[in-house]
Amino acid sequence: MDIVRKQGVFDHLLMLEKAGTAGQEKQKQDHLKELHAAILTLRAKRERLFAETAALKDLKDKLDQGLPLEEEETDDFMQLEQFLLKSRLMQLKDLQTVYHLIGGYNLIESKQGKSVCVSFRTAFEGMYLETYNLEMDLRRTVQISRHNIPPCVPLERLAKEHLQADFKAFLEILSLHLNALAGRKQQVLLIKELIGTVEIIERNQLCNFLVFMCKIQEETEAAVLCTLEYGDLTQCLPTRVTIESENKTLAESPQWKKNQVLLMESPVHSALLTMRKVGSIV
Amino acid sequence: MDEQARAILQRVIRKIPNKKLQTALRAWDHLSSEQLESLDYAQPKWLFLENLISRCEENRLSLKDVTKLEMAYYIDNPSKGTWHAYQLFQAEGDAVSVNFTQFREQLKAHLKDVVRHVSVRTKKLEDGAVWIRIAWGDNFSKPNHLKPTYVVHYLQTSYVFVLNLMSKHKPFLYQALLLSTRHVSIKEAQLSSRSLTAMRDLLMRQYQQVFPTNQERTLKERNAPPSHPSIEKEHAECAERRHQMACEAFGDGVLPKLETAVYKLETKYRGNSNNTLNDKDELFRGVVMFSSSNLLESFRHCVSAGMAEGPVTPLLSSITQKGRNSFVITDKVPGAASQTPAHKA
Repeated sequence: MDIVRKQGVFDHLLMLEKAGTAGQEKQKQDHLKELHAAILTLRAKRERLFAETAALKDLKDKLDQGLPLEEEETDDFMQLEQFLLKSRLMQLKDLQTVYHLIGGYNLIESKQGKSVCVSFRTAFEGMYLETYNLEMDLRRTVQISRHNIPPCVPLERLAKEHLQADFKAFLEILSLHLNALAGRKQQVLLIKELIGTVEIIERNQLCNFLVFMCKIQEETEAAVLCTLEYGDLTQCLPTRVTIESENKTLAESPQWKKNQVLLMESPVHSALLTMRKVGSIV
Repeated sequence: MDEQARAILQRVIRKIPNKKLQTALRAWDHLSSEQLESLDYAQPKWLFLENLISRCEENRLSLKDVTKLEMAYYIDNPSKGTWHAYQLFQAEGDAVSVNFTQFREQLKAHLKDVVRHVSVRTKKLEDGAVWIRIAWGDNFSKPNHLKPTYVVHYLQTSYVFVLNLMSKHKPFLYQALLLSTRHVSIKEAQLSSRSLTAMRDLLMRQYQQVFPTNQERTLKERNAPPSHPSIEKEHAECAERRHQMACEAFGDGVLPKLETAVYKLETKYRGNSNNTLNDKDELFRGVVMFSSSNLLESFRHCVSAGMAEGPVTPLLSSITQKGRNSFVITDKVPGAASQTPAHKA
């Protein structure tokens, strides 16, 4: 108190101020020292990385030019190879996981990752037929935005049943439907191409209902009407075959019973070819 | 031949151009070849018509036969009148196994159930299209054959195209279609055009769509205008990108020939200049209509030539993606889920 009265309030305040700033300055200096040390370590690291990249670059140039390597460089080379192989392995593993996820179908990202596009290729008896595409929007839930799948395929129903629950299952079942449709369509085309004598009476877009007439003998009017119903849309073979004819005994004969079985068990065009070879039809 | 038959025959013959008269009548197959030979196709129509009527009366042709000719005319010329598209929803389990005979029987039966006097004729074409001609009567009067409704349906798809349907007959047709195709509901598809083939191609995706692929873009501009080689070099990548974008939105090659697209605006006015309109709380109702001889082709050209900014606004690409040409645009409601400007479905 005496000191204060002797020296005055302002002097006391000045003294306190000095004490405060001195502490701050000390902090500042410590901080500066830390920063200096950090700069030194970072510089050292940078020099090291520069040296490593330079060495790798030399190595790469040498490899590109096909020059012989020195001893320590061969060790580096081995290491480099290891690194490359490791990164390639990781890349392939990622790819494998993705393929597993999408069931092996070729998905293409579009619109900066907001949608994917899937292609379905169809084939029948070793021949590639049409390709169908489906674009799906991934923003909130997976939804189909556009496609060029024929409207007779029950796409909405399949999407409602499978798309949200199991993506792979949806792709799989859609692929089955499309392949079966392409197969059935191709069979009708082959009937027209290979067996000109058979007359197709009725068919539809989904190719799940086919009625055709086969002639038994050249001259007579005798003919047999076959109706094929394909109840399972994922199959190329019919689920029901009906044989009708004016000549009742013919329709009931064992020959035609065998033909009925043949039509159930093999594609239409091959069944008809066999029947023609055997002599059932003309 | 009664009055109606004569009137219909007159109408159809007037519409068919002279050159096609002979083939049309021959395809009709209701006149013998001598009768056909005896007609003079170079006569003025009214005279020709009188001769034709006398031949028809010789054969005792009836109204039914004349309606066949009318139907054949419409089938050959699907670009007369305005067609409207409808879509069937919620197919029941056996919808895919409905065949033509079943459909026809059921349709006729259901229509006759609800409308006492109705005349229905169906025809199935090679490409799977089922044409239906309906002449409506009611409980007291016979069917009016002068105002028939034509309906085209592709079995096992969910699309129906209708011409000349009066609103009082709508519920009858709806019910008959739903019961015979085994669906639960039917809605207007917001697509109408004079060209039936354009609507069909658009809805059933029978034009060449372009999907993103990871192969080299091989889309080349067809009929590109001639230009300086330096300009081409600079703009090649840009142009290719724009072309790809245009084709992805609208399709490649020949596009379905839509003529109009209508956008009904039910939004608030949002401009800078006119303050009086700006402050109003009520909706600024307007209608924007695009019309062209080939609308989709024009849009595609706009985008690939750079006149319209890319990426293509969903307002335009919805025409092909959703298969409709009539839209109602409302304001985005705050907190709504969609990220594109709200369309009323």
